[in-house]
Amino acid sequence: MIVFKRVSVWLAVAGVGFAAWVLIGANKKESMPTPISEPPRSPYEQVVAASGIIEAVNENVRIAPAVAGLITKVFVKVGDQVTEQTPLFQLDDRELRAQYLTREAAIAPLQAQIDEQKYKIGDLETQLQRLQSVHDERAVSEDDLKRTWYALEMAKRGDQRLHASHKQAKAQRDEVTILLERLTVRAPRSGIILQVNVRAGEYATLGSSEPLMLLGETEQLQIRADVDEVNAPLVIPQAPAVASIKSLGSEKIPLTFVRIEPYVIPKKSLTGENIERVDTRVLRIIYRFNRPSFPVYAGQQVDVFIERKPSRTTGRTPSSPTTPTERPS
Amino acid sequence: MNYVALKMLFGDRAKYLMLLCGLTFAVMLIVQQGSIFWGLMMWSQASITNLNVPIWVTDPGIAQVDEVKPLADTAVDRVRSLDGVEWAVPLYKGLLRARLATGEYHQITLTGLESATLIGRPAEVQEGRFEDILQPDAVVLDQWAVERMGGPTVVRVGTIFELNDKLARVVAIAKTQKSFTNIPVVYTTYEGAMRYVPRERRILSYVLAKHKDGVPVEDVVQRIRTQTGLGAFTQEDFGFKTYMWVLVNTGIGINFGTTILLGFIVGMAIAGQTFYLFTIENLRQFGALKAMGASSFTLARMILLQAFTVGLTGYGVGIGLATVFGFLTAQGGNLPFAETWQLLLLVLVALLAICLVSASVSIIKLARLEPAIVFR
Repeated sequence: MIVFKRVSVWLAVAGVGFAAWVLIGANKKESMPTPISEPPRSPYEQVVAASGIIEAVNENVRIAPAVAGLITKVFVKVGDQVTEQTPLFQLDDRELRAQYLTREAAIAPLQAQIDEQKYKIGDLETQLQRLQSVHDERAVSEDDLKRTWYALEMAKRGDQRLHASHKQAKAQRDEVTILLERLTVRAPRSGIILQVNVRAGEYATLGSSEPLMLLGETEQLQIRADVDEVNAPLVIPQAPAVASIKSLGSEKIPLTFVRIEPYVIPKKSLTGENIERVDTRVLRIIYRFNRPSFPVYAGQQVDVFIERKPSRTTGRTPSSPTTPTERPS
Repeated sequence: MNYVALKMLFGDRAKYLMLLCGLTFAVMLIVQQGSIFWGLMMWSQASITNLNVPIWVTDPGIAQVDEVKPLADTAVDRVRSLDGVEWAVPLYKGLLRARLATGEYHQITLTGLESATLIGRPAEVQEGRFEDILQPDAVVLDQWAVERMGGPTVVRVGTIFELNDKLARVVAIAKTQKSFTNIPVVYTTYEGAMRYVPRERRILSYVLAKHKDGVPVEDVVQRIRTQTGLGAFTQEDFGFKTYMWVLVNTGIGINFGTTILLGFIVGMAIAGQTFYLFTIENLRQFGALKAMGASSFTLARMILLQAFTVGLTGYGVGIGLATVFGFLTAQGGNLPFAETWQLLLLVLVALLAICLVSASVSIIKLARLEPAIVFR
């Protein structure tokens, strides 16, 4: 064929070929680079998604002293596991200890007086007995007998008074003991020391904004999940739910429903910024969970998926096909 | 007779080359202009294609990708709550000023990707590791940012600059498609972006989502629209929306439109005219054939064969040259050039049509031809 003898025709064929090759190369759509970790995916067919934060089951205790005073000793450090009544820190107790000494010293003289009074009573009792045993009215005057009897009764009352004073002195000593005891601040319940903001030598004031120590229970953690108020009607109490911490989207932590906070509150951005922005209102749901195999900490953010029943019929286009019944899990 | 027709066409080498050149350059002109126009349109939606995610969720009143209308933070969870959504992650996008150590200021686009997954990150990096963006104060630039900010001598991996008075450290240079406005893109994490941007009540610019496999993306988009009241678009729709906005609201539509139209008209005029002149010049030979007893139908067939042969050859060489041009110049990504098969098909159809028209004119002339012309 004459056509194939022309260079121009070959050039044309080459041109079309090259264009096709470039086109195929250019139109090859690059697929998305794989995410560095799995994005959080829902394990359920129908879900309500929420963002949550891990926190201790019981609220943290802000330890405060009963009285203001100088701190002389701190017994615990951050992270210590403490049981109930474990001493946490000691306030300066020298003044009370000095008082204790005088109060303690006041007891011994009273005890001595009581002993003294005992002998006095004994003496009078013997006198009275001797006088009473004499039946001759001329040997013992009525007057002597009466006098001795009165003296004995007086001595008995005096003994009672001394006992009362002795008891009072002991009570005064015990008062100081209790006050001394109060200067040792103890753990109100078992938990972990989360923060220590005092050092020996510092002055502990009452009602300071920063707690002297923070005691919390991190053994059992719970999740506080925020659901947008728009989605609030979709939440079914007791519905199964899972959570996954950030950067471990594939690891699901099963959750147990605890309660729904009955009051819808303004959402706080969980950004850790000093000024929180109020965005929208959210429904809070509390979930409990068992510690997973990987470490989780109070304060971590989580993505929560709550199952819901096949959804509301409103707002859905009737033509939309049903989602596939089987899903790879 | 076909052989005679082709012999006539190829016989006069000079004439044939002239004819071929005319057609080739006409085709090349149209393809090149059209491709540059299309390339520019692709650039206008670079911020969408560079992120390469299937679904974009934002305010329903959005006009184009660079116009950000922030949403409430909970929009991510609302999108996640819908059927058929496989995942949804937040994205920050906004303009910010960067100040270099030299004291120079540059307007930049800050893109904050979700930190755990880094969905939306560019597929390729020129230097460094994109994952290092998770380090404190780390940002990643695209290669155009390096170019705009003064080249690799000024900005490279390890360079420190200020973003809204806060420290930013370059840990990698990403390879992306150039954008239309060519504002440097600075990538950071969503949390990082929150640190850099001035305080606003709402910060979430877009929710990026993907449909579950087996669920059509259009259904999911429709569901997001009806059930959340937010605006949802597929990547393609959002791109289309963006370049329609560019066409309507900037001078590019009118300017480039007229240029392309002119290129098309000029190209086609040259092609038609050249071929017409060719037949006119060969009128004597055709007259001779007619005098020898060839029917008008046979002559028409010969002319059509010649027309299509030279037309297709010119087309092939033309698109070849245009592609080579585009391949060489657009390699660095500095010139917008995007050839599409639709454009090539359009040019082919138009070229064959013009060949047909000019051939018909010649055929009409030939039909009226007196064989006696040979003897004049």
